[in-house]
Amino acid sequence: MIFPNARRVLAAFLLSILLFVTACQTQAPSRFDEVQAISSQQKSGQAVAKDATQGGSFNQFFPKASRGYERVYTQEKKGFAEAKLKKDGKDLALMAISDTRSLPTAAAKFKNATKQIAGYPALEIGNTQTAVLVADRYQVKVISRDASFTASDREALLKEFDYQGLAKLQ
Amino acid sequence: MSKPIQKLVDDLPTNNLTVSMLRSLDFVIPGQWQNVTGFENTIRVVTGETDESLIQQIGERAIYLYNDRSQGYQRAMWLYQTVDSTDVALGTAALANKVGERIPLLGFLNRLTPKADKAQTIDLSLKLVAELVAFCYINGIPGDSIGDFVASLADYSGESLMRMVALVCVDGLIPLGPDFILKAQSVLNDTSPKEIEKNATFQRISDAIPGVTSLNKLLFIGESFDSVKGWMSGLVSSRNLTPQKVVSNLQQAIEVADDKLDYLAAFLDVATNYYEHTGTQTLARRLIERAVAEI
Repeated sequence: MIFPNARRVLAAFLLSILLFVTACQTQAPSRFDEVQAISSQQKSGQAVAKDATQGGSFNQFFPKASRGYERVYTQEKKGFAEAKLKKDGKDLALMAISDTRSLPTAAAKFKNATKQIAGYPALEIGNTQTAVLVADRYQVKVISRDASFTASDREALLKEFDYQGLAKLQ
Repeated sequence: MSKPIQKLVDDLPTNNLTVSMLRSLDFVIPGQWQNVTGFENTIRVVTGETDESLIQQIGERAIYLYNDRSQGYQRAMWLYQTVDSTDVALGTAALANKVGERIPLLGFLNRLTPKADKAQTIDLSLKLVAELVAFCYINGIPGDSIGDFVASLADYSGESLMRMVALVCVDGLIPLGPDFILKAQSVLNDTSPKEIEKNATFQRISDAIPGVTSLNKLLFIGESFDSVKGWMSGLVSSRNLTPQKVVSNLQQAIEVADDKLDYLAAFLDVATNYYEHTGTQTLARRLIERAVAEI
């Protein structure tokens, strides 16, 4: 009487091991596994170039707040600065300046630009972004955060950055 | 190495006691917090983009940024995890079968000891300092910038605001009572460097707190608390918050008798990790916002 029981227990045990193992195997690899493997090999310095401009020096080139709009600085890192455009407490858009020294592909994509804003090559990206490349180095982006802030609003806001000042930075 | 950021965000629970607790605090800031989980999903929610190749690029850039230790994001994550890491094993093991149900508290009482006011005050103020320092790491502002932090508190929203609301409710009002700000301040003034050195959380995060000696660090903690107290009392008075009101809302998630509030605080301490949960969400959001602007 003991053996059939034991066999049954063993069968159940093996079945659960089998299920466990196959469950582990069938877990699909993530689309981000490869980049995780590459980027975790080097502990620091792989995301931001050593000679990237300090984010703090970008702040002065953002459009000034006016006509009930509010400008709130949110991030300031080496090679990057970002501010929000708000009105009546609502986030309308994000404005950012970044140094493409850290990410050359960000500058390379402007080679195909057919459009210009303030004399600089410009691109619309995805549903929410418009970008300008200044002096082949600094990328200026406006990103909609609210459906009411359209592509033409982004373009109008992009015209208000101080590009001459920014171009002189390098 | 610690867990990759995409794994941390993918592993955020959609429903556990922490999530239920935060949902029951929705009455303080209605509709402000959604429990956004999953790395790809967070990219979609934060950016509003649907193009798969854009989502891939944003995710990859965010991962690079997180893995670059010089950028400070990992240190911020570590802080959020560390201030929350009191004995969660007790709570999580006991609750493993209880997810999604209302949880009667009484069974836990004999295994918990309410913390003294002093320990509770140190816990509250260390969480505040961790928020301040993590904010500076994430946003790139110098590590002792109390003024910048206080100014940006007014702009806190979503999961960051929910974290601060939970701090006020769960680590302030419930354990210390309606006058928790005054009480905590007087306890802090009465705390010596030797006493704070004995605190386990302080021992772990001490290096991240500005100041060379324990006395300097204690002064910084007091200064931080002092500058955030206006914001906290504003929240309490504008929403008319009382311990009773908070508890009656928490009762949607946990059954608790009104005379056991000290135990409730201790219970929530071991059984939830709201700092780590919402901190992971904040960090993911900021990384994705930067990534989308840079690519």
